[in-house]
Amino acid sequence: MATVLIENLTKIYPPTITYPHRVQALGGVNMSVTGNVFVAVLGPSGSGKTTLLNIVAGVETPTSGSVRAVQDGVPAQVGYVFQEPRLLPWRTVLNNMLYVQDRKSDRSRREAEFYLTMVGLNEVAHLYPAQLSAGMQQRVGIARAFLVNPDILLMDEPFSHMDALTGRSLREYLQRVWLHTRKTALFVTHDVSEAVELADRIVMLRPGGVVFDDIPVNLPRPRHPDDPAVRAVEGEVLRRFDSMEAAVRFGAQAG
Amino acid sequence: MLTVPSVTPDAISELSTREMRRAVARRWLFRFSVLIGWAAFIGVWYFFSRLVFNPQQLPEPHVVAAESWTLITERDFRTNMQASLFRVLAGFLLAALLSTGLGWLIAYNAWWRTLLRTIVQLVVSTPIVALAILTLVVFGVSSLGPIITTAIVATPYIMMNVAQGLTGVDRRLIVMSESFGRTRTQIISGVLLPSSLISVLAGARLAFAVAWRMELLTEIFAASEGVGFQIRRSFESYDVRGMIAWTVLFIAVMLIFENLVFRQIERRLQGRTA
Ligand SMILES: Nc1ncnc2c1ncn2[C@@H]1O[C@H](COP(=O)(O)OP(=O)(O)OP(=O)(O)O)[C@@H](O)[C@H]1O
Ligand SMILES: [Mg+2]
Repeated sequence: MATVLIENLTKIYPPTITYPHRVQALGGVNMSVTGNVFVAVLGPSGSGKTTLLNIVAGVETPTSGSVRAVQDGVPAQVGYVFQEPRLLPWRTVLNNMLYVQDRKSDRSRREAEFYLTMVGLNEVAHLYPAQLSAGMQQRVGIARAFLVNPDILLMDEPFSHMDALTGRSLREYLQRVWLHTRKTALFVTHDVSEAVELADRIVMLRPGGVVFDDIPVNLPRPRHPDDPAVRAVEGEVLRRFDSMEAAVRFGAQAG
Repeated sequence: MLTVPSVTPDAISELSTREMRRAVARRWLFRFSVLIGWAAFIGVWYFFSRLVFNPQQLPEPHVVAAESWTLITERDFRTNMQASLFRVLAGFLLAALLSTGLGWLIAYNAWWRTLLRTIVQLVVSTPIVALAILTLVVFGVSSLGPIITTAIVATPYIMMNVAQGLTGVDRRLIVMSESFGRTRTQIISGVLLPSSLISVLAGARLAFAVAWRMELLTEIFAASEGVGFQIRRSFESYDVRGMIAWTVLFIAVMLIFENLVFRQIERRLQGRTA
């Protein structure tokens, strides 16, 4: 079973020549995620969501605090879907998939083709990324993350660069694949309805990278954005953001 | 009722053959213009050798062509051309090797960047004749001199482009690779190399052109064999025909080499990046 344990995590970016101020991206985040759950981290732009995922993925170092991502006691394999597709432009779709695999065999090739088929892209396996639409490229990104058979799936607003219609169909697709594999998932987003539609639990971040609320979403799957129950949870989440903002404003006035 | 013109397979094939013919015609037109360029060059040559100078000062193209043919059929053509070609390639490869390391330093180390930029400015702004003479002073008449000088002159071009290629790498692709657990070697060969290849290749091409010019010049001063040495010998015996013929042959060999190697690599790379 996969576990992500985040304790007192802070990240402060030092001043740079162009922006001579320290930036607190994360201000003491505590959270733990265990088992086959889909957790959405919801927060406005600049609240440290990407920073959080990068630290969990091990490509960024924290200023203080700790992150442990383990699977049965050993470091967990992560699969990362980025905000943009991040494909190698000089490799075909299929070769982009093979790039993240350790062993190159007929079997690994078949696996790559399997996941491409799952996202409906087996036909274009031999094209280069520049020959695909943005939505197709992002689907390759999703297939690539599943291909490494991750213990933990990290997703950073994978649909934010997409038009609403494409985003909607990709969301439906993601729900289906996730139900099929049920990997521990950390899904970062600034879109409330996206969070409610996909997640078992919503962790709310405010600017400065502080967790201010954390609510479960106990709704049956698959969910539909127009379902009144889904709407009700969305309303609740928005209310909590509003009262957080009011509290912050009140606190600022009092101080 | 609405009628839609039927698109039969015949109609499609007719359309595509017409387009094909047009494409072929365009290609021939392109080749033709290359031919015109050559013809114009030879015409101007004739004009100068007949009307501006006289054929003793500047031999006519057909005389040079005949002389070139005689040279090619002689035995020492191969040894001289081989000697020169070897030095060009050795110098160039040495430059490529040096450039890889130095380009890396320039891309990732501010101190080395400043130092090497200064040296590059010095090397690039030194007249190559001065370098050629300096080679004679330092190395005497040897094979090593032209190789080293060629490498020194060619290095800046590849080096700067290696550095440029490396700094132009998309950092996010490296982060992606790291998050998927790729090793250093895998990132170098999978991301850094291919993404800087275009820029490195452009630099290498320029460096090759500089390399063979430098090598030829150095040979004129500091060699006992090779094309440059033959040019000097012809000059010393007032053999203008031989001088020009050797020059033309050397340029021809270098251009053929350049086209065979660099153009082929570039063609392979096309379509893979966009
Ligand atoms: N490499 C960096 N150097 C300096 N500051 C950074 C760096 N990366 C992020 N920041 C700053 O840290 C804060 C949080 O950034 P982060 O990208 O984690 O936010 P985010 O929640 O992902 O935002 P978005 O929704 O716009 O993607 C921002 O104020 C940002 O300017
Ligand atoms: Mg972000």
